[in-house]
Amino acid sequence: MIEITGLSKTFGAGPSAFTALENINVTIKENEFFTLLGPSGCGKTTLLRSIAGFVNPTSGSLTVNGEDMLSKPPYARPVNTVFQNYALFPHMTVAENIGFGLEMLGRPKSEIKSVVADMLDLVQMAPMADRMTSQISGGQQQRVALARALAPKPKVLLLDEPLSALDFKLRKDMQIELKRLQSETGITFVFVTHDQEEALTMSDRIAVMKSGRILQIGGPKDIYDHPAERFVADFIGDTNFVSANLLSEDNGKAQVRLPSGATVEARSPEGGAHSGAVTIAVRPEHAMLSEPGALIDGRLKNIVYFGTDTHYHVESEGQPTFVIRRQNQPDAVEHHSVGDSVGISFNPGIAQVLRD
Amino acid sequence: MSADAQTERNRWLLLTPALTILTLAAAGPLLIVVVYSFLTAGDYGGVVWTFSTDAWFSVVAERDFFDETLSFSDAHLAIFWRSVKLSLMTTAVAFLVGFPTAYFIATRPARKRDFWMLLIMIPFWTNLLIRTFAVMEIIRNEGVVNTVLMKLGLIEAPIQMMYTEFAVTLGMFYVFLPLMVLPIYASMERMDFSLVEAAYDLYASRWKVLRRVILPLIKPGAVAGSILVFVPSLGAYVTPRIMGGGKQLMLGNLIELQFGQGRNWPLGAALSITLLAIVMVALIIYVRSSESEGAHHG
Repeated sequence: MIEITGLSKTFGAGPSAFTALENINVTIKENEFFTLLGPSGCGKTTLLRSIAGFVNPTSGSLTVNGEDMLSKPPYARPVNTVFQNYALFPHMTVAENIGFGLEMLGRPKSEIKSVVADMLDLVQMAPMADRMTSQISGGQQQRVALARALAPKPKVLLLDEPLSALDFKLRKDMQIELKRLQSETGITFVFVTHDQEEALTMSDRIAVMKSGRILQIGGPKDIYDHPAERFVADFIGDTNFVSANLLSEDNGKAQVRLPSGATVEARSPEGGAHSGAVTIAVRPEHAMLSEPGALIDGRLKNIVYFGTDTHYHVESEGQPTFVIRRQNQPDAVEHHSVGDSVGISFNPGIAQVLRD
Repeated sequence: MSADAQTERNRWLLLTPALTILTLAAAGPLLIVVVYSFLTAGDYGGVVWTFSTDAWFSVVAERDFFDETLSFSDAHLAIFWRSVKLSLMTTAVAFLVGFPTAYFIATRPARKRDFWMLLIMIPFWTNLLIRTFAVMEIIRNEGVVNTVLMKLGLIEAPIQMMYTEFAVTLGMFYVFLPLMVLPIYASMERMDFSLVEAAYDLYASRWKVLRRVILPLIKPGAVAGSILVFVPSLGAYVTPRIMGGGKQLMLGNLIELQFGQGRNWPLGAALSITLLAIVMVALIIYVRSSESEGAHHG
C-alpha cells in the first residue's frame, strides 16, 4: 500500500519557481492497477519519479507498507521502474539485463538463473536470452524492460508511459499483456499515461491530474460517467456542456433547470456545486434524439456517419453544438434529415453537474 | 569504361592529394630514418654511407671502451623504463582526474557545458613552453607551494620537487589532460543518463553504477583518451627537459641528444624506430584486448 500525504514539489526558487506537484493526497491499494492520467506537464511523471526516488519532494510524506520512502535513495526502495525509453543496458544481453537487479541485491547465481528463466518465460522472450538488447525489436525491448523490473519482485512497479513508443496494434496487445502480468504477479502497478483510452481499459482506479494537482480519483466508469470537473469531462472522452441553473442539491442528487425551462435530475459533484449558475455534462451516447418539446430543443445541423455509429449535431440557441451518438443497427432507417426541428432528451440522473 | 570502374578511378583521383602528402610527409621521412639507422655515424654529425648495425647494437648494448666486450646498456634501458613508467603514470593520473572532470561537465545543463569545455581547452591553446614554465613556477623551490608551506611554518626548508620524476609526470599530466577529458566527455555526452537511473532503481549503489554501467559505456572514450595521453607522453621532449632538468631523461631527450651533442645520427634514428615500435606494441595490445571483449559479447 502506498500512502502519499500532502506531497509537493517546487523546482527552482524565487520568481522562476515552478510548482510541479501541489498537495498530492492519494492512497494506492495493494495489488491495484493505478493510473496517473493527464496532459503533458501535469506532474504525473514527477509524482512517479518521487515514488521511485529520482525526485525529492519539497514537502509531504510518502510511505510504502507503512515504511517511509523519502529518506531512502532509489536503490533502497522496494520499487522498480519501467522507463519510457526502456533504458536497457546496451552492453549486456537480454538475460544479463533481467538478472541485473537480483545481482545487485547479492542473490546467489543459481537463484538469479532460475528467476531469469521464469521471467523470460513470463514475457515470452526465452529464445532471445543471449541477444544483445540492440538486436531485438521495440516490442521485445518493452518486454525485457518489464521482465527486468519484475525480476526482483518489487512491492510496487512504476510504469512511465511504457507503451507510447509502440505502434497501435502492438500497444493493444501489450495493454492486455500488462493486465495479465499484473494479475499473475500480484504486484501493485502505478501506470503513467496521457492516453485516456489506455487508462480506461487497463486501470482499477484512475487519478486525473492537471497543473500539479489531482482533480479526481475513481474507477474508470466513475470517472467517465461522473466527471467532477469540466477539465476531467473534457479530457476523457467527448462531452456536451450545457449551462443550467441549480435549483436544489441533496445527497448527491441535484435538480437543475435547463434554458428551455425544463427541469431534470442530475448528479452533484463530490462536495456539492453550491452556486446557482452551473454547467452540466452529458455524454453523446447518453442522450437521445427525440421530437421537439424535449429537455433541449434545436435544429439538426449535421448527420455524420461513422460506420459503427452516427453522430447528430444539434444547434440550439445560446448553447454550443450538442452531439448525440447513436449506435448503428443493420436494419435501422434514418428518420431525420438535416434542418429538422428536433429535441434532445436524456434520463434523470444521467447528467453530471460540474464543479468549476 | 563501366560505371563501376569510372567510380573507382574517381575515388583514386580524389585520394591523390592525401596520398601525396602522406608519402612526402610520413612514409618518405620514415624510410630515411630507417636507412640512416643502418649507416655509420660521421665524425661531425650526419652519416657516412657505409652499412653498419652498430647503431642497433648501441640501442640496448654497450661496447667496452678498452676490451671491446659487450654488455647491456644500463643507461639506455633505464631511460626506456623511465619513459614507459612515467607515461603510464601520466595516463593513470590523467584518467583519475579527467574522468570526474568529464562527468562533471557532461552532467551540467546543456548550455553551460560549452563554457566548462572552454575552460579545459584554453590551456591547450597556450604555448607548450609557457604552460610548462607555469607548472615549474608552482613547484620550484622558491615557487608557490614551497613559499606557502614555509610561511605557514609547516616545513623548514623547501621540498625539492623540480628535476624529479614527480615533476616530469606532473608537467606531462598538466599538458596532456585535455586529451583525456575530450574523448571521455564525448562518449559521456552521448551516454543515456536514464541508464544510470535504471541501475539505481535496480538496487545498484553509486559505486556499482559507476563500475557496471558508466565505465563500460564510456570505455571507448577512456581508451581513446589513454592512447592520446600515453603516446605523446612516451615521446615527450620539452616537458621532461624543463621539468627533469637533464636529470630525468626520457626517450625524446635521448634521441635529441644523439642528433645534437652525441653526433650519432644512426643511433638517434634507431632509437626513434624503437620508440615507434613501443607505441605500435602498445596499440596492438589495446586492439587485441578490445577485440576479444567484443567477441565475448558477440
